[in-house]
Amino acid sequence: MEIQILFFGVLAEVTQTSFKHYRGVTSFGDLKMRVADDFPEIAHYNFRIAVNNELVNEDPVLNDGDEVAYMPPFAGG
Amino acid sequence: MIESGSRGWKEHKNPNFSPHLEYKIDTEMLRKILVNGPITQENISSFLASIYENTGTGGHSVFIGQVRADIKGANRVKAIEYSSYEKMAETEAGKIRESILAEFNDVKSVEILHSVGIVKAGEVSLFVLVSAVHRHHAISACSKVVEMIKATLPVWKKEIFEDNSTMWKENSLA
Repeated sequence: MEIQILFFGVLAEVTQTSFKHYRGVTSFGDLKMRVADDFPEIAHYNFRIAVNNELVNEDPVLNDGDEVAYMPPFAGG
Repeated sequence: MIESGSRGWKEHKNPNFSPHLEYKIDTEMLRKILVNGPITQENISSFLASIYENTGTGGHSVFIGQVRADIKGANRVKAIEYSSYEKMAETEAGKIRESILAEFNDVKSVEILHSVGIVKAGEVSLFVLVSAVHRHHAISACSKVVEMIKATLPVWKKEIFEDNSTMWKENSLA
């Protein structure tokens, strides 16, 4: 399946990337490994992941076309 | 729109009524919270003017968040650059509104504006207006909205110092 990932805040800055497309993703775990390989610098930061605007805690089932966001701790207000 | 049995509040069901219309042209953006750059006096005034349209509310509570010129060592904050996951921020703001309206039956409306982009020290980056039948719910709900914004809105901020160095900041949640 095809998945788009997004980086926000400090993660976008350190990766110099705000989005990237992944093709042939087989699972959430597969996606996370590929992202970690492509952007090893994110391992130094805390982040949470949202799939299609919803925060996920456990590994969700991904569907073709899903949007997966890597988000540092929030800082609104 | 907001459901209420009170006569005065029904005026708000008029789809043409919204202070958002003062600065948002697209009516699909009627309830959007994100504003490019600082929240202006005009933005705030148009929300406060909306109070005068109501007769069913008796108390309004406002929170205004302002960018502070914090001093860090020899450096001083001159601005904050906000960024957001906009789709999710709008969804989460909707959840905040729904949760507050469900918890406080006295509350008739929850309005939120939050900046994205550069906001200089002294300028306003957050505006919350909670309108209720009575003051206690207005005040408690407004405080809760601000805490929920800090905890659940996907917004990030980078302090920009006078020497143009920058630092990412996180919210400390009490």
